[in-house]
Amino acid sequence: MRAFTEGSSEARSRSLVLFGILAWILAIAAGLYLGAVADADWSLIRELRLPRVVLAGAIGMGLAISGAALQAIFTNPLCEPYTLGISSGAALGAVLGATLDLDWNFSGLAGPAFGGALVFTLILLGVASRTGVGTLGLLLTGVMLSFLGSSLVALWMAFADSNGIQGALVWLMGTLSRARLQGALITLICTVSLSIGIWSRWRELDALLLGEEGAAALGVSVSQARKRLMLLSSLLVGICVSGGGMIGFVGLMVPHFLRGRVGSLHLRLLPLCGIWGAASLTAADTFARVAARPYELPVGVVTALIGAPLFVLILLKGLRPGSRSPRRAA
Amino acid sequence: MSHELGRPPVLGVYGLSFGYRNSVPGRAAVHEVSFEIEEGEFVALLGPNGSGKSTLLKLISGVQGFDSGCGEGQVRFEGRDFFGLPPAVRAARINYIGFGWAGEFPLTAFEAVLMARSIGGASLFRAAGPGDIQAVENAMRLCGCLELGHRDLRELSGGERQLVALARGIAQGARVLLLDEALSQMDLHHQARMGELLKALCREQGYTVLLVSHDWNLATEWATRCVLLRAGRLHKQGTCEEVVNSPTLGELYPEAPVWVGRHPVHGGPKIFFGSKI
Repeated sequence: MRAFTEGSSEARSRSLVLFGILAWILAIAAGLYLGAVADADWSLIRELRLPRVVLAGAIGMGLAISGAALQAIFTNPLCEPYTLGISSGAALGAVLGATLDLDWNFSGLAGPAFGGALVFTLILLGVASRTGVGTLGLLLTGVMLSFLGSSLVALWMAFADSNGIQGALVWLMGTLSRARLQGALITLICTVSLSIGIWSRWRELDALLLGEEGAAALGVSVSQARKRLMLLSSLLVGICVSGGGMIGFVGLMVPHFLRGRVGSLHLRLLPLCGIWGAASLTAADTFARVAARPYELPVGVVTALIGAPLFVLILLKGLRPGSRSPRRAA
Repeated sequence: MSHELGRPPVLGVYGLSFGYRNSVPGRAAVHEVSFEIEEGEFVALLGPNGSGKSTLLKLISGVQGFDSGCGEGQVRFEGRDFFGLPPAVRAARINYIGFGWAGEFPLTAFEAVLMARSIGGASLFRAAGPGDIQAVENAMRLCGCLELGHRDLRELSGGERQLVALARGIAQGARVLLLDEALSQMDLHHQARMGELLKALCREQGYTVLLVSHDWNLATEWATRCVLLRAGRLHKQGTCEEVVNSPTLGELYPEAPVWVGRHPVHGGPKIFFGSKI
């Protein structure tokens, strides 16, 4: 009777939760201990390293969970937090804010970036609420918004002075160096509550895995579910991007890595994504800080450099149907 | 099918019309279709490609809402308005079983069928109780796909996926099953098995089946009644004996060189290719 549910993936998900928490704790410890200065005192740790560790955890969690959710919402395994152009909206907002000297930044959080993300989210939801726009139409709209945002940023950069470009570039590549404790804690609270909001809709996310028609046949009102989930995920992406810039690959890789191991049911998948996303970004940020001491690498570059080859490896090994478990004999 | 006096039919479709947005005005996908189906009936919905069979099925089940185009008309389940019910309740009464599976993500057959139970669950972070798992296993055993439970949906053949989809509909508790080309992707063995299974469900367990097919021989082998569509309109309905004949086929498929003969064993009407001399 219990053969199906208490199967290997159940046990595997439990051990992945344990390992993930362990990895996260280790990453936090390394992040607090390692740095540019060998024997740091408590105030340095509290002022500089603790905020980064908290922010990395929050953003890693948010990116991985929004990535997993967006993949289900669009029934497209290539979706990631930045596919929909929300991040380009954030980049545009940040750049505009820098140009106009808007001092909306709060404790390391880029207010204009969040504003930009919000505007692009609203545009996307406006398109979504026009019935008759299918998944593909929405996705294409997102990709177009993404191009629009990044070309406007490029346009701005063509005219900006070199100082401004330097600042924008660091932000576009993703960095957690602006972390302040208060802002990091606010980001953490926001990402955790939005993540729980998405998690609580696991039924709809599961149903969407069967495609629009399959979900509707299960009794989910697809367009409403999709709009709600898109709003939650877009806000989550917006918060992550305004806290740390464009940090790629976490939102694409972590969900795929876990899907291949515990399956796609979101009740189990999303918490694991949160834990592993937080652990991996915390580790990546620590690496970015210490790998080229005294210089600091942009963490977005680190995640992409490690992530891209790893992702191809996962694609080759993990996405193949049936790779999930050595199946039990029936 | 005998039905008690005064008891409304399990499924009633009244004046159902629907046109997709962006389609040519005046050319609706479904145009004022009305018919009734009694409990326990096995009805085949037949017609040429593009005659609106699948659209009609999706409309009845509510999978395709009027909001995606413009439509009107009524569907009644046991005499009561069906579209007024919430989607989750609708799916547990009349279930659309299509052949579309996204198939992009790792998902086992058991997990897919279990969704039918967990979707209506009340508790926030609990997928399914022992009763749900029992129900899923019963449905999968009934459809003969229990041994596929551990397999990834992407590994299954089209026919096996159809069996899983049927199990999903049954696990959801629906008594009226709307099957969209359910037999089309199956090999002979599975077609025969699925046909017998559906027939048995109707006869012995009071399920009602509406099967869309473009294969007349296949559908009429098991169906007791046929509803014919032509260009979105109801063309004819009646028993297989009444509607499967050369004049009707000539109306629906004017150019097709086919003729109607008899099944050598049970004598029912069968369609053969080739012109009659």
